[in-house]
Amino acid sequence: MNPAVTTEATAVSSRAVDVTKIFGEGDNAVRALDRVSVEFASGEFTGIMGPSGSGKSTLLHCLAGLDRITSGQVFLGDVEISACNEKRLTLIRRDRIGFVFQAYNLVPTLTALENITLPLALAGRKPEKGWLDTIVDTMGLRDRLSHRPSELSGGQQQRVAVARALVSRPAVIFADEPTGNLDSRSGAEILGFMRRAVDDLGQTVVMVTHDPGAAGQSDRVVFLGDGRIVDEMRSPTPDAILDRMKQLSE
Amino acid sequence: MLRLTVKSFLAHKVRFLLTAVAVILGVAFMSGTMVLSDTLKRTFDDLFANVFEGTDAYVRSTNVIDTPFGESRGRIPRSALATVEGVPGVEAASPDIQFFAQPVGDDGKAIGGQGPPSLGFNWTDSPELNTFRIVAGHPPRRDGEIVIDKGSADDGHIEVGDRITVLTQQAPKRYLVAGIARFGDADSPGGATITMFTTAEAARISGAGDELDGISVAAEPGVTQEEIRTRVARALPRHGFEVITGRDLTEENQNQVEEGLSFFNRALLIFAGVALLVGCFVIFNSFSIVVAQRSREMALLRAIGATGRQVTRSVLGESALVGLVASTIGLGAGVLLALALKSLLAAFGIDLPAAGVVVTTGTVVSALVVGTVVTVVSAVFPARRAAKVPPVAMMRAVAVEKPTRFRRRSVIGAGLILVGAALLAFGLFTDVDNRIAYVGVGALAVFFGVAVLGPILVRPASRILGAPMARFSGISGVLARENALRSPRRTAATSAALMIGVALVGFITIFAASTKDSIAVALKEAMRADFVIQPKGAFGGGPQTGFSPELAHDVAALPEVRTATGIRIGVADVDGSGQFLLALDPRRSDAVFDLDVKSGDFAALSPDGIAVSEKVADDHGWRVGSPIRLRTPERGTRTVRVEAVFGRGQQAGFTDYMISLAGFERSFANQLDAQVYILLAPGVSNEAGRRAIEKVVEAYPNAELKNQAEFRRSQEAQINQLVNLVYALLALAVIVALIGIANTLALSIHERTRELGLLRAVGMSRRQLRSSIRWESVIIALFGTALGLAVGIMFGWAVVRALRDQGITQFAIPPAQIVVIVVVAALAGVAAAHFPARRAAKLDVLQAVSSE
Ligand SMILES: Nc1ncnc2c1ncn2[C@@H]1O[C@H](COP(=O)(O)OP(=O)(O)OP(=O)(O)O)[C@@H](O)[C@H]1O
Ligand SMILES: [Mg+2]
Repeated sequence: MNPAVTTEATAVSSRAVDVTKIFGEGDNAVRALDRVSVEFASGEFTGIMGPSGSGKSTLLHCLAGLDRITSGQVFLGDVEISACNEKRLTLIRRDRIGFVFQAYNLVPTLTALENITLPLALAGRKPEKGWLDTIVDTMGLRDRLSHRPSELSGGQQQRVAVARALVSRPAVIFADEPTGNLDSRSGAEILGFMRRAVDDLGQTVVMVTHDPGAAGQSDRVVFLGDGRIVDEMRSPTPDAILDRMKQLSE
Repeated sequence: MLRLTVKSFLAHKVRFLLTAVAVILGVAFMSGTMVLSDTLKRTFDDLFANVFEGTDAYVRSTNVIDTPFGESRGRIPRSALATVEGVPGVEAASPDIQFFAQPVGDDGKAIGGQGPPSLGFNWTDSPELNTFRIVAGHPPRRDGEIVIDKGSADDGHIEVGDRITVLTQQAPKRYLVAGIARFGDADSPGGATITMFTTAEAARISGAGDELDGISVAAEPGVTQEEIRTRVARALPRHGFEVITGRDLTEENQNQVEEGLSFFNRALLIFAGVALLVGCFVIFNSFSIVVAQRSREMALLRAIGATGRQVTRSVLGESALVGLVASTIGLGAGVLLALALKSLLAAFGIDLPAAGVVVTTGTVVSALVVGTVVTVVSAVFPARRAAKVPPVAMMRAVAVEKPTRFRRRSVIGAGLILVGAALLAFGLFTDVDNRIAYVGVGALAVFFGVAVLGPILVRPASRILGAPMARFSGISGVLARENALRSPRRTAATSAALMIGVALVGFITIFAASTKDSIAVALKEAMRADFVIQPKGAFGGGPQTGFSPELAHDVAALPEVRTATGIRIGVADVDGSGQFLLALDPRRSDAVFDLDVKSGDFAALSPDGIAVSEKVADDHGWRVGSPIRLRTPERGTRTVRVEAVFGRGQQAGFTDYMISLAGFERSFANQLDAQVYILLAPGVSNEAGRRAIEKVVEAYPNAELKNQAEFRRSQEAQINQLVNLVYALLALAVIVALIGIANTLALSIHERTRELGLLRAVGMSRRQLRSSIRWESVIIALFGTALGLAVGIMFGWAVVRALRDQGITQFAIPPAQIVVIVVVAALAGVAAAHFPARRAAKLDVLQAVSSE
């Protein structure tokens, strides 16, 4: 591993402290997250795994300031985003967080380039030429920039989404099953790009996935079960993950 | 399927309610107009039934000039009264004299004159024939005494025993108020101002001398109206007299009012129709969007075996339900509107005694039928489109709009516009019957043509309109532009609704500006007078008002004044058609007007001569010396000679037929100057002249002195008043269109929920989101406005061209007003976006992102 990245990895970019998230009230209350504490180091690619309904998406949403938590604290760098108002949160999402959803990541009326630069446009900023070129080339989108989403393949669309997540050099990129809707080849491509974003561009990525193969690309995997962190694994291999998953679901 | 229809309707209540508002407003306007006019009709029917309750027969002159501008009738000799009184079976016969009379209140201001007429009557002694009942004091016993109606007495703070001035065609004179009278149950008949004199004084004032306007007859008990009519008619000379029964007289008066009301009714219904037309576009659009959004549901129905027909019927059923509910609500709102307008009229002094309002079966049926039919017809296209949704559409994610068929649209749209323009031209420039119908259908075709072209024009228009937004508002502007472009048909249909209202507003604006310019030019060319005396009040105080010729006489006698002449206006039958006759002093006319006399000697115009404009002279082949058949109320039919031909006819904003004042006096019963034109003596300054003239005018509280500029402005003010009224009536159509914009935005936003969630997730602020939706709305509004102004300018030009012969010589597009229209439209767009934008901004980000 690149030594420069290793030193950076000591800094924490995103952190949850004792986070509980309860949906609904009374008899219908669902405890989606139960006193979760977890840290994500800068420059690291982390996978989040767990059975369906275990709270993966909820955790990601809470970390990204898309959802309010019931108790605990969420930090982005030094900023406690669980204490920010809606306006601050919007600005933090725009400038400091990148997000990649499973599908419908793009604004259909905008071209690929416009979609990529959307966070900057919202901030009223001009893209840095060099950085934008790097992202576009890394994602292999050079000849697709003037196309609308409807003219792009599913894999290309997700690449545009990743490029958009990268464009503002965010502190962290959250991805919720970014390859869930793709065939295995396109999925592998996307994973490769995210890996390069971490290795070559020094970005931080937190990704929810169901695919042990995808999780195998990460530096570290965190396992969720019933709203709790149940395990974690460093430098995982797909086989080791598969084993662990089997144990968890027993 | 019916169950499904009802269920679907209930499931989308709110959405349908929004759509329904478009129908509700139009139907409310329509039924409100009908209820109000029925109520007014009933009121006046009762009024006349009351007035002529005791009248069994009425004697009057056969000589009547009946023109589209009104009726005027000659007088009968007073000697007939004795004859009528002598007829067996006549219990009472009362002479009738009617003329202009306006009392002056204790504040020195003339009472009334703001709509309802100011009339002088002779007091009728026979209680059967008199509808007035004295409530204080006594009837006029001497020529210096009067009775006035209680409504006017209250207005002017007049009590029995006061001495007040009364303005008539004689010099202003003071009278002792001997009594105050009520009219049946009302304080005054329909808000009119009535002053009653002794019969002798009435005869003197009106100049009737030994003539009467008519004789009211009451029969003895047991003698029928028909019988007394026959007996009276037999007793009178065969020629010149007409005797009708009281019932016929009542009916005649009722019909006259009904005619006036039906004009007013029709005018208002046109505006209601415009609002409903705009409503059609809104409904069409709402149903199209709803059908598109529900294409999955439709596909599912098809997939499980529903036929296309059943799907169509289910959508049409929904529209019928919406229409029925909306028109019922609209009807209720219309009745409330009529009640409100009625009290408004009462506040303006138009007393409507009948309690409540009249809601006829006709009103109820037409409101429900029109509202429902309009809704269903507007939903026909969307319903048919729904049937075309293939079952496989279920598997597809979102309904995509079919690409616009450019060729077909441009051919159909341009075709409709051409046909419409042709019909319009046909109606405006030829002499066919039913010109209004041609103009109306032509305008409609143009509207539909532009609406069909709309989707083609959306792209370039949004690019142009969106450019500054994208520039100054960044990504919000870009998104607004792209969203407006997203579904050209939707944007176009939404804009088309606004286009109609704006086109009419633009047309009226241009027409008014052209009229004003034409007046200014006409005045500049033809007017030499320094001052004009005009009646006070709205629209010159109404038709039956004016001044005693004494005023012009007194003004002319001032040393500061070189010349003053009054002008009088009457309607006469000229060569078989009803025309306005303008009368003035021919020897003085040259000083105050430049008539551009072409031939003959205008100054020598004799009482038996007539002067005509060059235009009508050319049309009829008249020259100086040509004989013309002229029928006037007092002189009947006779032949007059053309004695002069002048250049400035109606074409130049003036008039086509002129006679001398002396000729007018012999031809018409009442002698009121409508206006007085004054030229100052040489060397007299405007200020000095005004001071001197004001002294004379002071004695006439219903008169107002104006210099040339003020006179022009007062003419403009009259036009402005009319234009503002039309604006107010068109406002409804514009409001319906704005509701349409709000509706479209709300439905589109609903469709774009996930996208909005995404935008918010990647950092779009609420404010940016709101501004993006507002800009989208502004693009739609401005697009509609641009189309509307284009159509409005075309209409304006065509109508101004068509009215060239009527004195509209100038064509003017007032830039300031056009800018105002555009700015107001943009602001209205912002307003229409208010609620949709707020709702969009309030969306929960996560829910939106994960919504289906
Ligand atoms: N808006 C909500 N209201 C109520 N309950 C919710 C809501 N969102 C999530 N939940 C519940 O919270 C729990 C965790 O949901 P979450 O979506 O985080 O699971 P997940 O691990 O992402 O599952 P999957 O792998 O299926 O995406 C589930 O039991 C879910 O039903
Ligand atoms: Mg999930």
